[in-house]
Amino acid sequence: MKVVTGVVGNDIHVVANRLIELSLNARGFEVFNLGVNTYLEEFFDAAVETGADVLLISSLNGEAEGWAREVKLLKSKYKTLDDIVMVIGGNLVVGTADADTIVPKYKNYGFDLVFHQVDLNTGLDTLEEYLKQRDVA
Amino acid sequence: MSLLQEEREIILSNEYVDSFDFAEVEEFVRGADKELFISHHFAQNKKMLVQPRGGFPTYKKQFALNEFFVNANVDVLPLTIDSNTRLNDYATAKKMLRLSEESEQDMLNGYPLVNHGYRTTRKMITHFNKPVSLRHGTPDARLLIETAIASGIFEIEGGPITYLLPYSKNFPLDKAFLYWKYVERVCANYSKLNLPINRESFGPLTATLVPPAITIVIQLLEMLLSLEEGVKSFSVSFSQTGSMNQDIVMGAVIKKMAKYYAKEIGCEDAVVNLVYHQWMGAFPTNKDFAESLINTSTVIAAMVGANKIITKTREEASGIPTKEANAKTVANTQYTLGILNGLPNIVDEEEEENLTLEVKAIMEAVFNDEADTLWRKVFNSIKNGTIDVPFSPHIINHNEMITIRDANKNIRIINRGGVPIPDRCFLYEKSKCDLTKDTTSIVNDIIHDIGIMQ
Repeated sequence: MKVVTGVVGNDIHVVANRLIELSLNARGFEVFNLGVNTYLEEFFDAAVETGADVLLISSLNGEAEGWAREVKLLKSKYKTLDDIVMVIGGNLVVGTADADTIVPKYKNYGFDLVFHQVDLNTGLDTLEEYLKQRDVA
Repeated sequence: MSLLQEEREIILSNEYVDSFDFAEVEEFVRGADKELFISHHFAQNKKMLVQPRGGFPTYKKQFALNEFFVNANVDVLPLTIDSNTRLNDYATAKKMLRLSEESEQDMLNGYPLVNHGYRTTRKMITHFNKPVSLRHGTPDARLLIETAIASGIFEIEGGPITYLLPYSKNFPLDKAFLYWKYVERVCANYSKLNLPINRESFGPLTATLVPPAITIVIQLLEMLLSLEEGVKSFSVSFSQTGSMNQDIVMGAVIKKMAKYYAKEIGCEDAVVNLVYHQWMGAFPTNKDFAESLINTSTVIAAMVGANKIITKTREEASGIPTKEANAKTVANTQYTLGILNGLPNIVDEEEEENLTLEVKAIMEAVFNDEADTLWRKVFNSIKNGTIDVPFSPHIINHNEMITIRDANKNIRIINRGGVPIPDRCFLYEKSKCDLTKDTTSIVNDIIHDIGIMQ
């Protein structure tokens, strides 16, 4: 299973990004890590280039929402990305807001799984479960 | 006219520079008071010098900050530069400076030195007559350094590796080496006119589980790149690791190795100082705990035998500190240093030997690179993973090395990636750790190990 991951926008917080890569590798995924400071186009280009099954975008500085708004529009320009599982996680808001308001918002932006301030392993467990269910269906 | 002078004239005929008078600046440096030179204070060797961090956008606020520091008995004043200037975006810095001057709101996270210019800034620096250290993070610092020295700032922090790998994703590393070569030459040339200008490397790097061997190798290489251009006073540095013993071992090894490699290139006449950074990782939000951490750092700096300590504040976890909090740390650190008497001499021969072997093996691999100049050898070594900095965001860095803490909180290498850590040392490092755990628990340990002080 191939995963493209990275930190979106002008966000240079690198620590969790490295840990996500380590954890995904440990779980047997083939990881293409674009690192910090990555723009949406770069994510989608990489997903096409690698034939990724999952696109896992992360954000810490809270500016993800500005980028997430453009996901649907941009993704529709790519022909081969209809089946890709879209995941976003980290700290998804500037200031504070609870998951009940954030999760539906991001789902509406085109994400299948949304993790706002969720522990890394819990998030990846949920992703694995989701992929398993999807394969059954 | 020399090539360097031609380049200087191009750099200084910038629209944001108000006519740079080379002759006048030279005259100023030649006649500058020795008190302004940190190299003079290092030579006196009376006590560990205390230097806080800090920079405000406006002249007025920077002046007020300096007044607070001087009242708190500071030894070295900092001048921290804003992020736009660090990226050579003087237009934005100019606009934000105006906005900051017109309201009470600070629109910059530091002092835009190029926009203020050397004529203005020099007034402040000569007024306080204390050594000033330039703190920035600039890959292309040519104009900034010219302006700094012309202002009376005779200590310049940074380097092509330490100001790039922790801060940037894709600024070209080879360019950074060439831009810093210019900085070294300008510092070396001005050093001939009066006391030496001190160059300081930024040892904390990413401040995230960087193993001592990597820190020391990068410190030594930036030192050599500086000395080979003629710099006569250089400070190597590192930040608190989380283990007192590891800090003491690191201090001993870096001092020995700096002397050894300076002599290897025929620069034993240069003075090499040691700078210690108080904890550079995430701070506790509890401000009293933060003060306790700061005091512990000061004790360790004394055990390490540092020549200078760079302080944090009790407000570290909550953003840019107020001048009051900043000055308070200076006063507290001076107090702690004053009461630290009769320190024991701790030597851990086994750890020193292991670290020395690691450092020498990496240095040898760098020197054996086939390139013709040192900077190219270093560039190739970073590019091919011989040097690998944990948690660097830069695309050139390999990120294959993995480190964790052992039971005593020492940082240990459990995956060496492409770094030529000798087998014997690698086995020693791993023997200190519990490696029976699966990767998921190791990742949890790493998260815990990064945040040990919180």
